[in-house]
Amino acid sequence: MRPRRPWLLTAGAALLTAAFLLPVYWMVNTSLTRPDRILAETSRWIPAPPTTENYTTALSDDALLRALLNSVVISCGVVALTLLLGAPLAYALARIRMRGSGTMVFALFIAQLPPSIVLAAPLFILERRAGIDDTYLGLIAADTTLTLPFAVIVLRPVLRSVPRELEEAALVDGCGPVGVLLRVVLPIMAPGLVAVSGLSFLIAWGEFVFGLTLVSEPAVQPVTVLLNAFVGTHGTAWGALMATATVISIPVVCVFAAFQRFIVGGLATGTVKG
Amino acid sequence: MRRGAGTTERGRRPPLLRPVSLATRRRRAGYLFSLPGLVFLALVLAYPLLYNVWTSVHDVHLKELLGGSSPFVGLDNYRTTLDDPDFWHAVRLSLVFTAGSLLFQFTIGFALALLFARPFPFNGLLRSLLLVAWLLPPVVSGTLFRWMLDQDAGAYNALLRAVGPDSLAHDWLIDPGTALAGVVFANVWVGVPFNMLLLLVGLHTIDPELHEAAALDGANAWQRFRWITVPLMRPVSVTVLLLGLVYTFKVFDIIFVMTGGGPVDATSVLSLYVYEIFFKFFRFGEGAAAGLLLLLVPLLAGAWYVRRLRGEGDAA
Repeated sequence: MRPRRPWLLTAGAALLTAAFLLPVYWMVNTSLTRPDRILAETSRWIPAPPTTENYTTALSDDALLRALLNSVVISCGVVALTLLLGAPLAYALARIRMRGSGTMVFALFIAQLPPSIVLAAPLFILERRAGIDDTYLGLIAADTTLTLPFAVIVLRPVLRSVPRELEEAALVDGCGPVGVLLRVVLPIMAPGLVAVSGLSFLIAWGEFVFGLTLVSEPAVQPVTVLLNAFVGTHGTAWGALMATATVISIPVVCVFAAFQRFIVGGLATGTVKG
Repeated sequence: MRRGAGTTERGRRPPLLRPVSLATRRRRAGYLFSLPGLVFLALVLAYPLLYNVWTSVHDVHLKELLGGSSPFVGLDNYRTTLDDPDFWHAVRLSLVFTAGSLLFQFTIGFALALLFARPFPFNGLLRSLLLVAWLLPPVVSGTLFRWMLDQDAGAYNALLRAVGPDSLAHDWLIDPGTALAGVVFANVWVGVPFNMLLLLVGLHTIDPELHEAAALDGANAWQRFRWITVPLMRPVSVTVLLLGLVYTFKVFDIIFVMTGGGPVDATSVLSLYVYEIFFKFFRFGEGAAAGLLLLLVPLLAGAWYVRRLRGEGDAA
């Protein structure tokens, strides 16, 4: 029903959103406050005047830059691997009649259930035996177990909307199955692939359990693990800590802002309708 | 079937003449396309979980890992775990953490979904802003709430002091009596936007004419909510609560960053218990056993959900 006073609803919703996002505001606020004022008697609601001192402190640390670079490499690796394995698998499960399709979809659903820590334990032993502990590869492979099942479940309904005639026409025209996938199906599922890329990046960027357990070498450690170590050792250096947290959050907000439409749609499809 | 020219030249037959081979080719392509993904998941997901079962019935310590024997011990690791009072303490904490998180994130998420289901200017923008809370890396959220709940300089305590006596301010995460409430609070904050998003999708599937007809018949807002919205939202609500249960039961990062399981094990839920046994004490066998016990809850919930979906499919 059409509300009589829509602007009143806007005001209410804005107020609730602001109250809800207070922690995020506080993170940025603290990061811009002079370190000696942060623990001042009266809480400062506005950093007056704002300072970049905390950011200079945080970013002058080579370890942070290294960890940020590691997270970029790992997250991009996870996105690439997820698309590479997920797109053909989703296509096969959505469009091709195969023995065992039902079981595979069921297995992918189950694959989302194990807690990361339960998987991290055997992976720790196995990756060490295989000699890929403390490597990007080991971490990318572990993170992809989180994104791949989800990607297939998001992509399958998108693929089902591809008209079968299009594929058949291409096959009849002499295009092989791989050609059909590359030339006909991939362009149509582009929005789904964008959603999957965005979500996979966000999941990999925020991942912590595998980073904590499978990697001990700082040269490979993701930035989430570094932030946690930082909380432990510099527990009271809140300014630099909040600057670091803000820096880690910026890619998340950017990716979400850029892919928002696809991500929200993909999420809804993957979880409720899938 | 017409056998025309070109039958002797292998591989150059026009596909039109072989409709059967088209289906076969598609099926073969299907297996080929699924193979890489399935092999990957078998290697990195299924095999490690099975290996965990093997570890759970062997005596594996750091020493054995570096080259030595790991004798078969049967169910000893399970027995040790089930005899450990800390394990049951962790189970209790996990149950309280999950129940508390679900209760609050669902009710708050539902209330927000009802608000955002109505059309008003900037609806989409405000909704997206709320989602940011859910998208932040859990480690960032944990760090953030450590700071927000700090006794002296935390913003929440400043707010409490502003509205009431100074004694309202509290060192939430340092006091064993309130630390669990503190981590539940942070986890609810993280979970609310996701609950709202899914419940909003559900609300949009309700035909507005139902509400209009009921309003014409004289039903007030509460009656329309109670007798139209609530029953029609039941299937979506079950899905949201179940997903919430699976996600919340395995939460590790937020708690680990906020309290590390302390003070004095006040927030050491099952996932942190498994972490400690396995990665801190390197008691791999017991850690594997405890991990498989932790896996039970999401698996049971998942199995129940699939059965329920199948039931719905049959009815439709």
